[in-house]
Amino acid sequence: MSVELDVFVVNTTIMDEEVYQLWLDGYTVNDAVKVRMEGGVWEGCEASAEVLHSDTMDQYRTFQMCERLLHSPVKLANQLLFQIPPHRQAMLIERYYAFDSVFVREVLGKKLSKGTKKDLDDVSAKTGVTLKSCRRQFDNFKRVFKVVEELKGPLVENIRQHFFLSDKLARDYAAIVFFANNRFETGKKKLHYLTFQDFAFCAGQLISNWTVGALDNMVEDMDVDLEKEFLQDLKELKILITDRDLLDQHKSLVCTALRGKTKAFNEMEANFKNLSRGLVNIAAKLTNTKEVRDFFIDLVEKFIEPCWSDKWTAGDMRLYLTHYTNSAHVLDTFKHQVVWDRYMGVIKSCILKMYHD
Amino acid sequence: MGSGGSVGKEAGPLKTLLRQHTQSALEQREFPIFTLTCFPPGFLVHVGGVVSTRSVKLLDRIHNPDEPETRDAWWEEIRQEIKSHAKALGCHAVVGYSESTSICEEVCILSASGTAAMLNPRFMREGCLDIGGSDHRLSRQPHPGMVGSERGEGEVSSTWLGFEDASPPSCGFVHIPYDEFNMPFPAQLTYCYHCRRQKVPDVLFTTIDLPAEAEVTGKGCLIQARLCRTKKKAQGEVNATSISNLLPFMEYELHTQLMNKLKLRSMNALFGLRIQISVGENMLLGLASATGVYLSALPAPGGIQIAGKTPSDLSYDQHISTIQKRIDDTIAKNKELYNIHPPECIEEVVGSPIPDRQRSSRLFRSTSESSDELSELDLSHGKKDAFVLEIDDTDAVEDIQSLLTDAPIPAGFYSCNTEVMPGIHNWTSGLQMFTSVRVYRLSNANLTNQGLNKIFTDLCENLLKSLYFKLRSMIPCCLCHLNFTVAVPEEELIQVAVTAVAMSFDKETQQAADRALTRGSGENEEQLQFSMELCGESTISNNQPTAKPSGVPESAMVHSSRAPSVDYGSFADRCSTWLELLRLKAHTIRRGSVKTSRRTQLLAHSVSSSERCSPLPEGRSRSLRSTRSLPCGAPVTVVKMTPLSFLPGTRIVKYLGIINMFFIRETTSLREEGGVSGFLHSFIAEVFAMVRAHVAALGGNALVSYSMKECVFMENPNKNQAQCLINVSGDAVIFIRESDQEAIPPLLTSRQTSGTGADGTT
Repeated sequence: MSVELDVFVVNTTIMDEEVYQLWLDGYTVNDAVKVRMEGGVWEGCEASAEVLHSDTMDQYRTFQMCERLLHSPVKLANQLLFQIPPHRQAMLIERYYAFDSVFVREVLGKKLSKGTKKDLDDVSAKTGVTLKSCRRQFDNFKRVFKVVEELKGPLVENIRQHFFLSDKLARDYAAIVFFANNRFETGKKKLHYLTFQDFAFCAGQLISNWTVGALDNMVEDMDVDLEKEFLQDLKELKILITDRDLLDQHKSLVCTALRGKTKAFNEMEANFKNLSRGLVNIAAKLTNTKEVRDFFIDLVEKFIEPCWSDKWTAGDMRLYLTHYTNSAHVLDTFKHQVVWDRYMGVIKSCILKMYHD
Repeated sequence: MGSGGSVGKEAGPLKTLLRQHTQSALEQREFPIFTLTCFPPGFLVHVGGVVSTRSVKLLDRIHNPDEPETRDAWWEEIRQEIKSHAKALGCHAVVGYSESTSICEEVCILSASGTAAMLNPRFMREGCLDIGGSDHRLSRQPHPGMVGSERGEGEVSSTWLGFEDASPPSCGFVHIPYDEFNMPFPAQLTYCYHCRRQKVPDVLFTTIDLPAEAEVTGKGCLIQARLCRTKKKAQGEVNATSISNLLPFMEYELHTQLMNKLKLRSMNALFGLRIQISVGENMLLGLASATGVYLSALPAPGGIQIAGKTPSDLSYDQHISTIQKRIDDTIAKNKELYNIHPPECIEEVVGSPIPDRQRSSRLFRSTSESSDELSELDLSHGKKDAFVLEIDDTDAVEDIQSLLTDAPIPAGFYSCNTEVMPGIHNWTSGLQMFTSVRVYRLSNANLTNQGLNKIFTDLCENLLKSLYFKLRSMIPCCLCHLNFTVAVPEEELIQVAVTAVAMSFDKETQQAADRALTRGSGENEEQLQFSMELCGESTISNNQPTAKPSGVPESAMVHSSRAPSVDYGSFADRCSTWLELLRLKAHTIRRGSVKTSRRTQLLAHSVSSSERCSPLPEGRSRSLRSTRSLPCGAPVTVVKMTPLSFLPGTRIVKYLGIINMFFIRETTSLREEGGVSGFLHSFIAEVFAMVRAHVAALGGNALVSYSMKECVFMENPNKNQAQCLINVSGDAVIFIRESDQEAIPPLLTSRQTSGTGADGTT
C-alpha cells in the first residue's frame, strides 16, 4: 500500500516555524523529517516517521506556493490564496529575507551577477550553507538591489517599505546594496577578521555622511553613490601632509594633547606622520572608482595594522583620532574644516568599529 | 438498526389521542421526512432509532436516461420503505434524513437513512413561526439570560406542549415510542434512569445531533467502524446481485463494530450516525462514523466478555484471559478519559421479551451460532450483563485486536462528528477549518478481506493521527463535525476526504465548569445553541401565552388564534404556510435591511478593518519622498469558515445567502505542478480562496455550515494529466464578537428590523 496523494489544506494557513526554518535552510523533505524526529517533536502521540513525512510534505508545498509571493512581500499582504494572519506574514517575510552572516561575508561587495551566482556552489562548500539556501539568499540580495536601484528617497526606508522588513534587517540590506553597488573589496585575507556587522556599520556611516543623499534626499541613487563633489574636495586635504609646516604644527598639537594620557604615546609620536599621510592619501585617492573599492583594505593596511603592531588599545585609538581630528581646526592655514569633519567623522567611527583589540 | 423506548401502559389517554392526531397529520403527508438534525426543545417527543435502506440499481437499464422518471421512482420506493421502517418502530416521522449514492460503472447503490421519531404536533401548526423572534434566527448562540434555567423552562414547555403527563424534556426523547409488548426487535428495556416513569432501551443509535435538552454524563467521542469487502469483478445483473448479497453482512458487521466500540468506551448512545458504503470494481468499502455519548437516562452499558469456543489447552485460556484483561483495562481507561462516572443505580430489567440468560448470551458476532456451548459460561460482568465476544475464528481474533488497537486520542484532543461535543462549553475564538484528502494505492491485488480491513483501518487511523499532529498547536481543542467521505475512484485506489473544524476551548474555565456543574446540567448552554425561529413562540408563550407574535401577517394570525383546540389539517398545507411565512419573513428582513444597510456596511467595514490582513503596522508613514506608490489595494478581509452553524463567542447578525459553487480543474502539466498532491493542494487552497472572496464580496466575514459535497479526483500520470471536480457550499454571514455587542447600532437588533419589516408588509 502506498500513499498516492496526501494533502491537508486549512482556512487559516498554519506554518510551523521549525519546518519553515528547515525549508529555508535548504533541507530536503527526508532530511527535515530526520531532524524533526531527532528533535522530539511532540509527546502527545508518537509522531511516526509517516506522520512527520506527511506533515513536512504539506508544509513544504505550502512554502513553495508562498515563495513567489514572498519575492514581492507587498503581494503577500494583498493576495487571496492563503489567509495568513499579519504577524505570521511578518514572520514569514523576516525569516525569508534573513541571511547567514558567513554567507553574506563571502558575497559582500561582489557584483550580484550571474557569474557570482555560478560560483555559489564553492561558497556553499566553503561556508557549509546548503546551495539551496545560498541561492535564496543571493537572489534576495539581487532582488532588493534591483528594486531599490531605480527608486528615489532614502535607501533603508525604501527597502523597509517594499519588503516589509524590520528596521535592523532593512539596514543590513542597505549595506549589502551599498557594498554591491560600490564593489568594495572585502574578500582580501587582511579583511577576513571583519564581520558582516562591522561592514554594515561602516556602510551605514558612509551612506548617511558621504553620499549624495546626505545633502539632498530627492535624488535618484542618492544613497548608493558617493557624492562626487565631496570626493573632489577631499583632494584639498592633501595640504595637511604636503605642507611641512602644517604637518609639524598638527603633530605638535596632537602630541601636546596626548602627552601623559596614554602608554602608547611614544609610538604615536613616532608614527604620527606616517599615519596622517595614510589617512589623507586615502581621502585624496577616493575620486578614482578603483581606489574606492580598496577603501577598507587601505584603512587596514595604512592605519589599523601599524597601530596593532604598536599595541594600541581601543581607548588609545579613540583618544588619538579625537585629538587628530580636533587639532586640525586650530590650524590657521587649514581652510577645509567642513570637508575635514565630514571625512574624519566617518573615518573615525569606521576605524573604531574595525579596530578589534 | 437501533433500539428505542416505549409508550408505557401509563401513558395517559390524552397522549394517545395526541399521538393519533399527530400520526394522522403526518400520515396524510406523503413523506414525513426531515433532513434537519437539530430541533427546538420539545420538538422531538420520542426517538425510535436509526432506519436505513439501500437499493442496488443498474443505471444502464434506464430506458430514458435523460428523463428523471425512473430515478424518481427509485427514490420514491426508498422513501416509502424508510417511512414503513419508521412506522414499524412506532414512529410517524423521520428526522436527520439523508440520501446518497455510490456509482461504479453501471451499478449504483442508493442509500437513505434517518432517525425514526415522534414529533410534537404543536410544531406542525401554523403560527409557530414567530416572526418577532428573528433574533433567534440570527443567533444560535446561548442567550445569556437563559443559561442555567433549563429545569424551570422544561416544566413550562411541557405544559404548553399540551399534555399533562409529558415526560421531562431532558429524557422524554429517549423513551421508546413503540409498544413494549410488541417490539419490532429484541431489546432490553429498563425504566428511564432520569424520570423512572417510562421505558428506555439499553442503547440508542440516531442520525441527528444530540438534542440540547439531553442529559449527558462525561464527554463524547468519535466512533468509527470500518469495513472492506472484496468482491469478484463482474458486470450487469451478476455484479448487482453480488453487491446486494454483500450489503446485509456489511451492515451487520459495521453495526457490530459500532456496538463493541461503544461498549469499550462505556457509552450507550450514538448521535450523528452516518454509514457510507462505496462500491468499487472489486471491493466494497463501508465506513460508519458517529459520536458516542453516555446518556444519563439510559442504563450503563455492560462490559465486554471474551469467550473461547474450545477451551481446551492452557495457553489458549491464558491468551483469552490476557485479551479480557486488556479489554477491561481499556474500558476503565476510557471511563477516566471521557469522564464517565454515572451514579450507581439499581438495574431493573423489565419487559424484555427474551429470557435473561438467552439474551445476555446473544453473541455479537455474525459468525457464531453456538449458544448452547456458552450457556454454561458466567455471563455477568460485575453487576451488569456483558456482551460476549467469541473468538472462534481468526477473523474474530483480528477484530478484537483491532478493537483494542484503535489508537488512543492524544491528551488535549476531543473529536466528534456532531456540531459540538457534549460537556465542552467555553470555546475560545480559536478556530481552524480544514480539508484533508488522501488517496491510497493498494499495491497487492490479491488481498484478503482481513488484509483489506487492516489497510482501511490503518488508513483512517493514520489520517486521524496526522490531523491531531498538525493541529497540536490548538490544544486543548475539539475536532468537531469530522466528516469522512470514502470513495473507490479506480481499481486499487481508496480515497478518503475529511473536512472538519478544530475549535480550541479554555481549559481553566472548563475544569472549573466541570466541577461546578451538576450532572448533566452542562447541556444548558448547548441547548440554546439551536434556538431556531421555530421555538420563537416558546419564549413568548412562556411569558404571556396570549401575546400575538409581532410582525405576523394577518392571514397567519387568524390561524394561530385558533389554538389551543388541536386541529390538524393536511401537512402540506402547514408546510406551505411555513414557506409563505418564511418568504414573508425573508421579505421583511430584506425590507428592514434597506434602512439599516448603511449601518450594516459600516459594521462590516469596522469588522474587516480591525482584522485586515497586512503586516504593515498601523500608522507607519509612507515615504513622502517616494514617487512610485506601492500597489497596496484595499486590505484583504479575513473570512472565517466553519462546517458548524455558529462561530463560538460571536453572534451572527445577518445571513447573506447561500454559497454553492462547483469547480472543475484540469492540468496537463501534472509533474510541473508538484504531482497530484501539488495539484490538489493548490486547487483546494484556491477553492477556499474563491469561497472567501465570494463571502467578502457579499459584505460577509464568515461562512457557516460549510461542506465539501463532492471531491472527484482523477489522474493519468502517464499522460501527465489530472482532473478534479469540487462542490462546496455554505452560508455567508456577518458576525460580530459577543464582547462587541454593546457597540452594535440599535437599528441592527432584530426587533427593530422586524418592526420596520412589519410596517412594510401592511
